[in-house]
Amino acid sequence: MTGVRATLAVCRYEFRMQIRRRSLWITIALVAGALAAGRFGMGPRYAPAPPGAPAREVMTRWAFLFSVILPIAFGMALADRLLRDRRLRTAELLASLPPGPAGRLTGTFLGGVAATGAPALAAMLVAAGYETVRRGDLTMIPWGLAAFAAVLAPALVFVAGYALVCPLVLTAPLFRVLFVGYWFWGNVLLPATLPTLTGSLLSPIGSYAASWLLGTPVLYAGIPGPLPVLRPEPTGSAAAASIALLVVAGLVPLLAVGLLRGRRRTA
Amino acid sequence: MTWITGAASEPAPAAGALSDVEMWRHEAGRLGWATGCTPVVAVVAVAAVAVLAAGDGAGRPQVSLVLLTGLEALLPLAVAMAATSVVATDRARELHLSLPTRYATVLGRRLALLAGATAVVAVVFTGVLWAAGLWSGPPVAASPLLWAPATAWLGALAVFVALLTRSLLLATTAAGGVWLAHQLFASGFAAHAWARPLYLFPVSRLDAYPGWMTDRLLLTATIVPFAVGVVILLRRPERMLTEEDV
Repeated sequence: MTGVRATLAVCRYEFRMQIRRRSLWITIALVAGALAAGRFGMGPRYAPAPPGAPAREVMTRWAFLFSVILPIAFGMALADRLLRDRRLRTAELLASLPPGPAGRLTGTFLGGVAATGAPALAAMLVAAGYETVRRGDLTMIPWGLAAFAAVLAPALVFVAGYALVCPLVLTAPLFRVLFVGYWFWGNVLLPATLPTLTGSLLSPIGSYAASWLLGTPVLYAGIPGPLPVLRPEPTGSAAAASIALLVVAGLVPLLAVGLLRGRRRTA
Repeated sequence: MTWITGAASEPAPAAGALSDVEMWRHEAGRLGWATGCTPVVAVVAVAAVAVLAAGDGAGRPQVSLVLLTGLEALLPLAVAMAATSVVATDRARELHLSLPTRYATVLGRRLALLAGATAVVAVVFTGVLWAAGLWSGPPVAASPLLWAPATAWLGALAVFVALLTRSLLLATTAAGGVWLAHQLFASGFAAHAWARPLYLFPVSRLDAYPGWMTDRLLLTATIVPFAVGVVILLRRPERMLTEEDV
């Protein structure tokens, strides 16, 4: 119980520290604003929804629109969170505190995810509010929350896992470059061009969840390519499998670092 | 410390002071290996992707396009991110601001080193591709137009945003977001005559249409507002002491 409490304390600390970062709010607001402003002209073809479209479709298109570039901001925001302790020379001090390495890592991850997701959730709620007023449909807000949970949240968890851990090995500047390159390669680039995971269950852009919510394949969900086992028809169960896989894949690097740090502490 | 404090109006450096070579070596050290090696890492990553594509059965033209894309697109992104780090993370900033040498000079030296490393890597990479028969871009003499304008533009944007906002997060997201937007909305840029000169990757994404070289020069001209903004912001470098991302 003490371990859980300590982890929650780390989580609270990380959350409060991150949520006060003005740059996080400004960055998400600018990116979301730019995407919303550009969606009528140069945006992805599945946004915006036509007049009279159901709330589910309208809000999924918003989530889908945000998921194209917003996770870049997630990755940039979280890339230095673990390095920060080392850079500020507080790592040893934190190591002497009651929560073990696993607890600290879990707390940092949960707090970081919650704080980074808050501005994105706010952006979705603003979009839902706008659509509620524009279309006079009160179900926009619950559907906005559902679309956020299905499309953006798994992307955030996936990105957070790698953004926290990879810079420890690659350094933050290298991680940022490779992350943007990965985002383009692994989510948007067609498998016909290069071997890529685009359109697979492991595409964090949320193609399966968005396809399921929209009722039509979007962002190449299920497109033929490498690892056909990861490219089923975009159905409800495939969307659930995609969400679960993304969350599990996002936790893998954290587990690896947690185990490594725990072993180092015992040695 | 004469190499830091030395200014044009001051007496000549005393005997035993660091030479110019030593000063540049010191600045290279301050740049950090991760930042300095970013251009190399970018081309190595592209080469790895090309090998992967070739292993997957991609033809020679496709592999060549991947390599060209690396030079035109990935290298500018890598350099912009590295430039952001140079500007936004300097642990000895207070010390620099207390010395006669202007902080803008120190940053300028480091960015010049990064630019130099980028140019060397790009030219060598171009030469290797050309020698291996994998070059599918413009004439080799014009090859700097492939990577230099986009690198300078994206780098200038990143440095400007980093200085303006004092936020590494905003600067890196701006560079990454603009890069991704150019990749995603290539057809949107191609569809509008006014937007085409502002497009960063015309050779790999728009098949080097006629007049792309003029557009590259126009793109280079649009760097001027960023450069002016950077110069103005660096006139008050003490603003950088209160950056949010420690």
